Amino acid sequence: MESAASKELYRVINLRHRRGNHFELTIPDLTIGDGESIGLTGPSGGGKSTILSLLSFLEDPHHGKVLFGGKTITDNDSLSVRRSVTLLSQDPYLLKRSVYENVAYPLKIRGETGSLKGRVFEAMDMVGLKPDHFAGRRWHELSGGEAQRVALAARLVIRPRVLLLDEPTSGVDPANALLIKESIQTHRKKYGTSLVIASHDSLWLNSAADRVIKIYGGRIETIESANLIPGPWAKEEKDLYRRNLSDGRCIYSVSPPGEKATGILDPSEIIVSLHPPSDLSARNILAGRINRMTSHGEDRSIIIDVDIADLPLTCRLTRQGARQLDLLPGREVWLIFKASSIRWE
Amino acid sequence: MDYITNGFIEALRLLFSGDIEAYTVVFTTIKISSLSITASLVIGVPLGFLLGYYEFPGKRQIRTVVDTLLALPTVVVGLVVYAFVTRQGPLGGMGLLFTIPGIAVAQTILITPIVISLTATAVESLDRRLRETLMTLGARQGQLLLASIMEARHAIAAAAVTAYGRAISEVGISMMIGGNIKWYTRTITTAIALETAKGQFALGMALGIVLLTLALLVNIMLVALKKRS
Repeated sequence: MESAASKELYRVINLRHRRGNHFELTIPDLTIGDGESIGLTGPSGGGKSTILSLLSFLEDPHHGKVLFGGKTITDNDSLSVRRSVTLLSQDPYLLKRSVYENVAYPLKIRGETGSLKGRVFEAMDMVGLKPDHFAGRRWHELSGGEAQRVALAARLVIRPRVLLLDEPTSGVDPANALLIKESIQTHRKKYGTSLVIASHDSLWLNSAADRVIKIYGGRIETIESANLIPGPWAKEEKDLYRRNLSDGRCIYSVSPPGEKATGILDPSEIIVSLHPPSDLSARNILAGRINRMTSHGEDRSIIIDVDIADLPLTCRLTRQGARQLDLLPGREVWLIFKASSIRWE
Repeated sequence: MDYITNGFIEALRLLFSGDIEAYTVVFTTIKISSLSITASLVIGVPLGFLLGYYEFPGKRQIRTVVDTLLALPTVVVGLVVYAFVTRQGPLGGMGLLFTIPGIAVAQTILITPIVISLTATAVESLDRRLRETLMTLGARQGQLLLASIMEARHAIAAAAVTAYGRAISEVGISMMIGGNIKWYTRTITTAIALETAKGQFALGMALGIVLLTLALLVNIMLVALKKRS
């Protein structure tokens, strides 16, 4: 968390926000630095979109505060803040106008005159839409990926201070996704934009974000890359409970608070071995194949994702440890952790 | 049967020879309906927008009343307006009876509910994401309203075309308020009624052809607009 830029942009304090009857987002304290790039991951319905909506000041939190530049946002300055923060929602809406008019609209309502055309074309170029080819297209003459890029260009054109992105690459093909990712990076480099990106694409977030925040059930998980193990948990013996995996194996935990409880397993708590261990007291010994390896954080520790039935697990190793084991994607490894290593909220 | 065929041939002759009586009637009709559609749009679009965009107590009741007025019989509007603008009526001093403005006023009463109702529906069916999108692009309140109307423009134009179609084809109001005065307040529909009663099928048919052509044009526009919205 030390990577936050020196100046504070957002500060979320004691926030509680309800959605419907069953969901509440709770953030005791969260700071986002000016110029920082934050990734949000976690299961759908976990609260990512709600956070983005609150950060974009489209709605006020039911309880607590969202400070921007150290200040609470009052009705008086909400317009100027809304004009420096912009949100690209998951399924963006295009105005029933030409592509050019869609991208020019945010400039026009800001009363900007002068060379709109230059700015619009620059934004279109940035998202890979050739101006002479696309400027005159109507909103209904675009593919899903093109529409997504037009919507992104309409956000980039105002050179926002903060760009909030809700699953910007979901539902578009890989070529469009790549263009979207590149344009966001280019824009950030050029204008120092702060980013908050909600995405399932953890590979992209690990490279594009200074830090990644995991959110589930309306709460922020403080451990990076924490494994979330959802129930149902069945009683095995006394305090020991079992969660069946799709291939017949199972994971053991101690005293879950409820049948449906989600367990949290710190990636550093998992021991990785190349051989099946013997004579160990640890309850959970699971074989699986390494799916992906990434390096992460200040200390450049190695994060490996191991496929185990329906529940991929993430483990964290030091660089040295990973080198000693000579780990490679595709290699079979044994993961070892104690039943009591699974914590509960 | 001959009189129908002869009437049809005579009708085409009247139209293509530029018969002054037939064309006067056509232009009177267009003049009146243009006045009434303009007035009904000026009144109806803002009211329809308010009705569709905002939530307020009594909204549903108002909506029911407006929707009921869609089926307003032309003769009832004619009767009520007549009662007001006749010499003894409360607005008798304005001299609207048997004049073009008189017909236009009554037609405006007839078609404004159509504009209000269809505009409200158009605004209600705007995408739920529109408001959030405009907010996040940095729109102020006024810009939000303007852009919302712009998004609904095709549906609002379709409302106007529907209302215009009703105005040019109605006969009750033109007859009762206009009085079917030759060279002055005679419209296509009142002329057809009169000529048919006189047994003069040719002029009636010629005007019928013009009316159908106008209705066809209106419908073509409507289809094109619905496709866009």
